[in-house]
Amino acid sequence: MATGWIEQLTGSLEQKKQYRQNKARVEHLPADYRAAATALERYLMYFGAITKGDVLLRMLGDLTDLFEESAADGTPIRSIVGDDPVEFAETFMRNYTGGQWINKERERLVKAIDAAAGDDGKER
Amino acid sequence: MGRQMTEMLKGTLEGIVLALLTGNPAYGYEITTLLRGQGFAEIAEGTVYALLVRIEQKGLVDVEKRPSEKGPPRKVYSLNEQGEKELDEFWNTWSFLSERLEQLRKGGK
Repeated sequence: MATGWIEQLTGSLEQKKQYRQNKARVEHLPADYRAAATALERYLMYFGAITKGDVLLRMLGDLTDLFEESAADGTPIRSIVGDDPVEFAETFMRNYTGGQWINKERERLVKAIDAAAGDDGKER
Repeated sequence: MGRQMTEMLKGTLEGIVLALLTGNPAYGYEITTLLRGQGFAEIAEGTVYALLVRIEQKGLVDVEKRPSEKGPPRKVYSLNEQGEKELDEFWNTWSFLSERLEQLRKGGK
C-alpha cells in the first residue's frame, strides 16, 4: 500500500492529527492548568519512554481529560497532583507501561529466567 | 499525608474505590469527595483518576459518558461483574492480612 512505507517514516497521519488535537485542547485550558498539564506532559514524555504511538496518545488524552474536568470543577492544581507531583506522574504512567520500550526487555528477562530455571513458570 | 500512609494506601486504594462504587456509580470528583469524607483528607484527585483509568483498563468497571452543565462530559464509573469478583478477592486478602497483623501486634503466632 502506498501509505504503508510513508507512515513507517513519518508515523501515522491519523496519530499526528490526534496529537495536534490534544495540543489544541491543552492550549484552551486556563493558564495555570495549562502550565501544570504541560509540565506533566513533558515529564511523561521523557520518563515514560513510550514507543507505541497509540499508547502515548491515549496517555496524553487521559491527562487532558483530567485537567479539563478539574478546570471545570474548579479543583485547585495542588488538589489534582497532590504534594508530590513526581509520585503522581509515576502512578499515572504505570497505566501505560505496555507501550514502553523497556517492556520488551522485561519480557526477555522473564523468558530467560524461565529457560534458566528449566521450566515455563512451574516449580521444579 | 505521611510517607507510610502513602505507601500503604498504594496497595489498598483500588479495593477501597471498588468498595465505594458498589451499588453507587460515580464520577472522578465524586469518588475523591467520598474518599475525603471517609477521612482520606489529602488524597489527590489525580491519584484517584489514575486509578480509575487503571480499573477501566482492567475491565473492572463500565464507563458511561454523561453530559455536564459546565465543561466536558463526565465519565461515570460503575462496578461490573468482574469488578465485584475482584472486590470479593480484595476483602478476602484484606481479612487475611489484618488477622495476621493483629496476631503479630498481640505477640501471638
